Amino acid sequence: MRLTVAASWVESPLKAFVDDGRVRLAILLHSSGQVLGQFGFARSVDVMTACALAAATAASSAELGRLIDGRPFNAMHYVGVTQQIFLAPVPIEGGKLVLLAVFDEDSSLGLVQLFFQEFCATVKAIAPAASAGEPALDADFERELNRNLAVMFGRA
Amino acid sequence: MNSPFTQTLSALIRHRGVTGCMVVGESDGIIVDSSLQIGVNGSAVAALTASLYRKAQRASTAAGFGMTGFFELVAEGGRVCAAGRNEMVLVIVAGAKVNVGIIRMEMLKALESFP
Repeated sequence: MRLTVAASWVESPLKAFVDDGRVRLAILLHSSGQVLGQFGFARSVDVMTACALAAATAASSAELGRLIDGRPFNAMHYVGVTQQIFLAPVPIEGGKLVLLAVFDEDSSLGLVQLFFQEFCATVKAIAPAASAGEPALDADFERELNRNLAVMFGRA
Repeated sequence: MNSPFTQTLSALIRHRGVTGCMVVGESDGIIVDSSLQIGVNGSAVAALTASLYRKAQRASTAAGFGMTGFFELVAEGGRVCAAGRNEMVLVIVAGAKVNVGIIRMEMLKALESFP
């Protein structure tokens, strides 16, 4: 399994989270759906799909939270037959990113939550402020998305 | 709010040297109920101890020894003890000088009352 990143500052915290939390798949993305780093995916099309779905789910959940509770919900946890999904916002200076992690019985929700807290603290300290301020769907979105995927999957 | 474990945990935390006791989900490492002194990072200890306990179960089964009975981690500054039943793990965090014999006996006795 290979960890690939589109921004160098992502590598260290994402690697620590993957190693410590023993997750099978992980993606850090902008709330717009643009990928910043991933672990466990072999094909760029899978990353693109996962990012789009994760961004949409996070946005839906945030809006549902605002509607019901007056503020966005935080982390989400879905349990499958053998695998589980953890999806949560990662607050950074001036906005937030989104982390999607998939784990199985080698890990647990408690472990993932624990190392997610450490991940958030590290990312908040090292993420450039501009990382959060990217427009959701501006004219460059597709080009930027393709550039990030190309950097991560070796076709830059 | 009281849980079915409140009484058990209240009794265990009163032992000399015990700084925290928790009932933790074995598979998810999340605290079901706890009694902790200030300074004990309950959620971290719960998640990591449940993970260790699951690994110990697997090691014990692989070695042909059956289920794990009592699990004790001895460190320079203290001990973590765990014992499980019905998908739940009873975890005790204690100082290095705690009377482990009594703690072990109390934990195994407490497990019998688990639903």
